[in-house]
Amino acid sequence: MGDIRQSLLPRDVLSAAKELLYHLDIYICNLVQSGRQPPQVDTKTLELVEEFILHSPKDRNIQPRRMSALQELQLLEIMCSCFQEQSRDAVRQLMFSALFSLQGNQADESRMALLSKLVSMSVAVGRVPILECAATWLQRTHRAYCVRLARVLVDDYCSLVPGSVSTLQNIHSSSPRFCCQFITAVTTLYDLTTEDLTPPLELLQMIVSWLQDDPHLVLITLLNTPLSGSQPISSLDLTPLGGLVRWCVKAPLAYRRDKKQVLTNGTSDNETEAGPLFSTLHLSVLQVLMLLPSILNEKGLFGRLALLQLETLATLTSDLSRLLDQADKHAHGPSSDAHALSQLVLDRLAQALQVALANGALLCSREDLRAICSRLPHNNLLQLVMSGPVMYYNNIHTPPMAFSPHSPIATHQPLAPHPASHPSQYPAQPFMSAMPFPYRPNH
Amino acid sequence: MSAQKDCEFLVKRARELVSDDPCAAKAWLITARTLYPADFNIQYEMYTIERNAERTASAGRLLYDMFITFPDQPIVWREISVITGALRSDCQDKHALFLRGVFETLPGRVQCEMLLKATEQCFNTLEKAEMLLLLLKRFPESVVQHGVNLGETLLEAEVSESLDTPVNCFRKLFVCEVLPLIINNVDMRLPASLLQKYILKAAEFYIGYVARGPSSDGQMQGAPEVGSLKSPSGSRGPQRYVIDGLSEKSSMVTEPWERLLDILSVVGARCEWQGEKGQRSYVDMLQRVKELCRYLPSLEGEMRSRYCSQMVICSVLVLFRSAFLYASAVQPALFQGLNALSSGPWILLEDLSLVYSDVEVERAPVKHGHKKRKLADGREKTMSSDDEEGLGKGRGRHILVNKTEMPGWSETLESFRTARESWDLLHSHEILETEFKKICASWKTDNWLWFRIFLTDMIIYQGQYRKALSSLHQMAAMQQPQPGQQSPSGQASLEGSRALIQQASCHYALGEYRMACEKLLDVVSGLVPPNHEPVKTPEDQGKVKNKSRKGSDLRLLPCTSKAILPFCLQLMFACFKLRVFTDNRDDLSLGHVVVLLQHDWPQGESLFLKALEKIIQQASFQYENFFNYVTNIDMLEEFAYLRTPEGGRIQLELLPNQGMLIKNPSPALGGVELNTLLLQGVQTIDRHHTVTRGITKGVKEDFRLAMERQVSRCGENLLGVLHRFCLNEKIMIIQSLP
Repeated sequence: MGDIRQSLLPRDVLSAAKELLYHLDIYICNLVQSGRQPPQVDTKTLELVEEFILHSPKDRNIQPRRMSALQELQLLEIMCSCFQEQSRDAVRQLMFSALFSLQGNQADESRMALLSKLVSMSVAVGRVPILECAATWLQRTHRAYCVRLARVLVDDYCSLVPGSVSTLQNIHSSSPRFCCQFITAVTTLYDLTTEDLTPPLELLQMIVSWLQDDPHLVLITLLNTPLSGSQPISSLDLTPLGGLVRWCVKAPLAYRRDKKQVLTNGTSDNETEAGPLFSTLHLSVLQVLMLLPSILNEKGLFGRLALLQLETLATLTSDLSRLLDQADKHAHGPSSDAHALSQLVLDRLAQALQVALANGALLCSREDLRAICSRLPHNNLLQLVMSGPVMYYNNIHTPPMAFSPHSPIATHQPLAPHPASHPSQYPAQPFMSAMPFPYRPNH
Repeated sequence: MSAQKDCEFLVKRARELVSDDPCAAKAWLITARTLYPADFNIQYEMYTIERNAERTASAGRLLYDMFITFPDQPIVWREISVITGALRSDCQDKHALFLRGVFETLPGRVQCEMLLKATEQCFNTLEKAEMLLLLLKRFPESVVQHGVNLGETLLEAEVSESLDTPVNCFRKLFVCEVLPLIINNVDMRLPASLLQKYILKAAEFYIGYVARGPSSDGQMQGAPEVGSLKSPSGSRGPQRYVIDGLSEKSSMVTEPWERLLDILSVVGARCEWQGEKGQRSYVDMLQRVKELCRYLPSLEGEMRSRYCSQMVICSVLVLFRSAFLYASAVQPALFQGLNALSSGPWILLEDLSLVYSDVEVERAPVKHGHKKRKLADGREKTMSSDDEEGLGKGRGRHILVNKTEMPGWSETLESFRTARESWDLLHSHEILETEFKKICASWKTDNWLWFRIFLTDMIIYQGQYRKALSSLHQMAAMQQPQPGQQSPSGQASLEGSRALIQQASCHYALGEYRMACEKLLDVVSGLVPPNHEPVKTPEDQGKVKNKSRKGSDLRLLPCTSKAILPFCLQLMFACFKLRVFTDNRDDLSLGHVVVLLQHDWPQGESLFLKALEKIIQQASFQYENFFNYVTNIDMLEEFAYLRTPEGGRIQLELLPNQGMLIKNPSPALGGVELNTLLLQGVQTIDRHHTVTRGITKGVKEDFRLAMERQVSRCGENLLGVLHRFCLNEKIMIIQSLP
């Protein structure tokens, strides 16, 4: 390796980087051919990448070399064709990983910068192999970095250049895997807490149209990933469902806030445009949830894999109770408009909870639901969902609402990445629980 | 609180939202369904939303769910019956297409089950049958189980509803839909007797269909258009036709004869008929039957009856098809939709075009040589090719037609011949005849006017005039209620008088001249003479053929006033012709003959000269109607000449009551004057006056004046004159015949 470094040093930045990529290609090919498991790129090579491609200073004494913008563009082009020409998937993945896996060092910043440019460029020119590698990267990388990549793409395609969103739109057909991970990343990124963290309308429209075309899209990662139980810590969720539920439930409040701000400027009517979009999106989410039982059953995971975590939902409900409380105070007296919005929020929450519970995406009891929703204002549907359907003896053959009560989930912890706080309550599907529960919707 | 209350609440919320925010409504219902999966109303509401938005796939999916989960819900069945209704109908609107689309999304097993159950719930036979038919069409394996039963149900329904025509909705369904499924299904094993019964049912339907009369509905449709002054009849569009109980579209049968042939070839193959290899034409079929006919006497038992069935069925189909083609050419107005296209109607009559040219009369009297020369001058009889050489072989009877007026003449005559041959075949063996008569009885062919027309023409062709007359009596009885109809050419057609005209022709052929005249005068009294004389085309003039014929030819004449009035005149002339040119003196008949000879002048020139010869022989002639009806200048000239000394001083009593006045006529003066008047350049000869000068002068004066007046009438419409003759002198004409 030392020889390589010596041969690279005299070269100019671009040809050195090019030479190293060439070397990397050969090296990884040999590595894959050797059949060593798991194939591991050695530290020396990673250092060379940092020095000659990412231009991170090896030590303080040496002045880091810089590339001009044009040279950087040339390098990106070379990388694009390098991945395009490599036919072996394993080689591509290892190469991508050698270049862009975060190492927890100071090179990571330039690594992220280069990655963002490469992925953005690949979206523009339709480099499917790179998007596929990026999809894997999004699965393995800490969510904090994932959302950064997502943000770059949203900025590039939704904010910077008007009309370029259609280019991004195409990724759902060129790389559904990347598209799915992208959705997960943006729903994680935009949590609707501030205006900056509210998804741009173009992004929203795009996601709605993707889901309308094919609701399965958001389940691609789930469908393609062998669940070995080794989900990296703090990676993105397996599906964007949690993020999408949060979007739909919080949207009426978030966009109302926007409206208030915008009205003072007197320009946009974001709410009137976003309202129907979120309604459509919410329906799509419910429809995706309805698809789950057959998919989970096929994978043998029904009742064993919580795609929506109770904790996440608990955070959502406590956020909601705070926001609704604020909204109530801001409203200065009983405003029917404000009331309607908060009821819409609660209706959607109740619907998401019920449908998720019934389709095995949420693994908890109605008792748990009552616990996390206890501080929310009254809503008929939510009451109904928390208490569960009324059961009659003549309806005893009705199938259970959620997962099988006999599913011994509590004893199979490894599969549930985030074990629920009350594992022992899982099987307690409350068939008759509605009877003693005092609250029923007053319809 | 109850589950029902919960469900009502959920559905109510969805309904409130559906118009403003359908997605929210659906979200509510999805939630509701997970809460109460066994509640019907929730799923029905979901289905309703999808159905109203015409989303085929999701509506189909939800319908499937409901059908599986709630098989006993009446609402589901109401929905299914709407869909199966759309399947049965031929409606092409968007909603019907959507409903059919929904059905197509369902799995085959469910479709089958749905149709069977829907069938069970139908009480109306027709609907039930249509429903079952949907099943049979989609699932051929179900034909074995349900096919024949469905067929029998339809045939029974026809009887139990006592429908009087085979062209009814049940038969249509049976023949056009069920029967092809049954006979084309390879798994079906059907006895030959049943197949034969079915093919006859099919034949009866198809024949009834093609021969259907113009519906009263159709005439009403056409009425406003007919009312327009510009085109009284030409613009009448294709008439609409609807079989009771069916839609207009499903009432339509395309290429009925071809469909019938299709069925026949399948049945033939299944019944192991001789030489039935797939599709063949009707003509081939007749050929095959003719061949089989030779073997028939040598066959016995099962083989014989199988041959028989084949021969009878095939011959019957060929017979009725050819007879129909013939009848539709000669009387198109009987049939739906043929008015606009055809050239008819036509009527088969004795050919009398040669009646004025008597070969015997060729030897003209020498006396009239100068006349003869003049009259024949420049009027060479043109030769005619108007003959149908090669047709009508066998018996050697010719049927003449005007080829320009009847473009499809050769097909029509060919159909006539084929039909006659089939008829003969069916009567060549007793066993065939018996079977044929059974079929005729069950189809009630005696009531088919068009077939009666063919039969009559066939009998006339065969020369069995006595039989033809009784057939014509039946036809007349059938034609009675027919209202007068407009023919496409706009002139009053005489379809209603068809029987009467043919009766006259038949009586004549039988030598019953008085009867013939009675009938023809009845016909003429119903005719309107053309207001101007028809311009003679070369073809008309060339009617007379030089070639001598036996005189037993037939002619297809247009059944219109224009053609029939001349025919009647010829026929009347023919009735008197033989009687007049004998040794007996009969001035009245001779007078009629002279009047009639004016028609088609100078065709009858030689006969006129012959008549003059007879008058000269008699030396006198009395016919008081002469000046009423003779306007022909050539004739007037000849008669004027007869009175001159050169003409032989013939005593002519041509004025009413003149006979008693004229004792010794001296036509000198009058003759001179007339000759000066009529025959310029003829020398007048001075004559001494007779003793009865005073009286004869008065008579001569009357004659002269009458002649003068007559000359001024020369331009009068001759057909009008002759028509008046027929009308006014009817009784006298009839009485002058024995």
